[in-house]
Amino acid sequence: MDKTIPTVNPFDKLLNLMCFTPLGLLSLLVLVVLPMVPPFNQEYLIRWLISAAFIASLAIAFDFTAGLINIVNFGYCAIMGLGGYTSAILAERFGLTPWLGILAGGVVAALLGLAIGMITLRLRGIFAACLAWFFGLALMGLATKMVWLTRGPMGMRVDRLFETQSNVPYYYLLLIIMVAIYIICKWVTRTRMGVAFKAIGQNMEAARTSGINPVFYRVSNFVLSCALGGVLGGFYAHYYGILTPDMMHTSKTVEVLAVAYIGGRGSLWGGAAIAFPFIFAMELIRSSLSNLPGLNLLLYGLLLILVMIYYPGGFAEFFDTYFRKPKNKMMNYLLNGERAAT
Amino acid sequence: MVEQVEKRIWERLFKWCKSLAGIAVIATVVIALLATFDRGGYVLVNTVVTGGMTALVAMGLALTLGVLNIPMFAHGEYFMIGTLVAYYVFTPISNYINTHPESILVFWGPLITIVAAMIVGALAGVVSEVLVFSPLRKRSRENWVMNSFLLTVGLSVVMINAHQVFFGADFKGITRYWAGMPITVMDVFISRDRAIAFVLAAVVVATFWFFMTYTRTGRAIRAVSQDETGALMVGIGLKGILLLTMSLSCALAAIAGAGLLFMYPSYPSVGLEPLYMAWFVVILAGLGNVLGAVMGAFMVALLKVLTIEYIGSGWDFVVPSALIIVILIFKPSGIFGSEVRGVLDK
Repeated sequence: MDKTIPTVNPFDKLLNLMCFTPLGLLSLLVLVVLPMVPPFNQEYLIRWLISAAFIASLAIAFDFTAGLINIVNFGYCAIMGLGGYTSAILAERFGLTPWLGILAGGVVAALLGLAIGMITLRLRGIFAACLAWFFGLALMGLATKMVWLTRGPMGMRVDRLFETQSNVPYYYLLLIIMVAIYIICKWVTRTRMGVAFKAIGQNMEAARTSGINPVFYRVSNFVLSCALGGVLGGFYAHYYGILTPDMMHTSKTVEVLAVAYIGGRGSLWGGAAIAFPFIFAMELIRSSLSNLPGLNLLLYGLLLILVMIYYPGGFAEFFDTYFRKPKNKMMNYLLNGERAAT
Repeated sequence: MVEQVEKRIWERLFKWCKSLAGIAVIATVVIALLATFDRGGYVLVNTVVTGGMTALVAMGLALTLGVLNIPMFAHGEYFMIGTLVAYYVFTPISNYINTHPESILVFWGPLITIVAAMIVGALAGVVSEVLVFSPLRKRSRENWVMNSFLLTVGLSVVMINAHQVFFGADFKGITRYWAGMPITVMDVFISRDRAIAFVLAAVVVATFWFFMTYTRTGRAIRAVSQDETGALMVGIGLKGILLLTMSLSCALAAIAGAGLLFMYPSYPSVGLEPLYMAWFVVILAGLGNVLGAVMGAFMVALLKVLTIEYIGSGWDFVVPSALIIVILIFKPSGIFGSEVRGVLDK
């Protein structure tokens, strides 16, 4: 009778709503403060931070498809590039404000995702991967060839989003986008839909038998992931100020894929967490061993292979097994939030 | 009696012509001939030469898909290994030929080169099977297709960048394998290299077909591709077959690479284009259908040549992609269909 409902204080409620653990929030705060701390307040380090955050956001959105419904969207960067080009063309030709252009990029990418999904997601996963890949190649070919629209390989100049020389505002905008993407993805996984996604990803036949229509759920997942990619593409266009078809290349997708899988498939946060140290390590190797170009990518590929074979759960699983269950109550709260502690 | 047999053959031929495969093959031939009349013989010659070599790469890809259930993304890298080995073997041979023009190596040197590339390609296949795929196979078999696909992505990144780190990113090419006057067919000059490359492809395809159809090992490979468990039950050593298949398909890609070194100089990402082509072919022909891949290779080659001819270069990814999309909408099992169920089921 006197079962007291554990009182959850508003802070924990908010955290739970945002799908962050206290540690997650703490690391986000570190990321927010980082551009003001001395070694990181140099311009080139801020640029590294931005590219890491960009890969991290892409990895979250990519993992939403790859980790949950187990379909590798192999043309992901091309879809992102489509969003970027849409946004850029709307801004340059029609004078649309970039803020709306970025959203429009997301919409166009979502439409392409819908087309690819409708065609292939009724088939096995590998078809979706291949078709997305071919769509990506075709898009890259179009972007190279339609010089009147995209200026081809010479690159299309785009006005930047903010009128300052500094990159700091872009960094904060990107952090906001990243957190928004994370929260959207996490919210979706908490609904009925998310459960359906996981069921499909683990065993499609079983999911179908229990009355889940796999095509509907897979397509909606794919479309959402593509839309997020398109928005990121819009940001890319208005951050770099120049768009070349190269950004749609398969190797860029491979980069995102590697980060997402090394981070831990299906965890969403794993890719984002691993992206920052990872991109920094890669950039360090690239800049310090510049006489051996390609070495960083070689290590990249080796790491991907090793993780795929010997530790398919990636960093997220490693973290969950070895760090997530401390005896200390304080630490437990820090790592798992209020819900698990009570 | 003879009449009856003849009639049955005609009936079957007629039925085949009405099937999708028949229509596609006939349409390919007709379109190729029309284009030849329109633009001259070189369209046909280009199609045949490109198609022959694409067939080799695509056959290997179809084989890995069918037998090992691996959607190989790194297949182009075995092509790259072929070009690399051919370059390093053929350069000293060609220096020797320059000083000894009467030597027997003038004719046999290039063939030795290609055989060397084949052997190294096969070894590379064995190494990647032992080091990469068999550990994964031991550890997990669920979601095998997707996991192995990602593994091949990693493998491709590693091989491309290993080439760049150890051999440099510059173009390593040769001018020609066989010197001498070009051959003239239908008012088109075909360099000897191209002609011999085509003959080589034809010989390899024929040998391979013979091997798959008439030898015990070939039959065992096909049995594994149709039903792995069934093959195990009748006493086929699965491990050996998987190893053999992998090395065979990699050797095929390496032969193609070595045979085309005069067209594609060796550089880190040289394998990407053959890889794309091979994937187009494999999806067009039906995943895992090895003999369909040969026909499909000529179709894709024709499509590519025509695209370059009539629309312009650079569009040659757009048009095949559009075709693939149409195929996937209306007939996802490919033009020639596929007996291989494994790829679709797992």
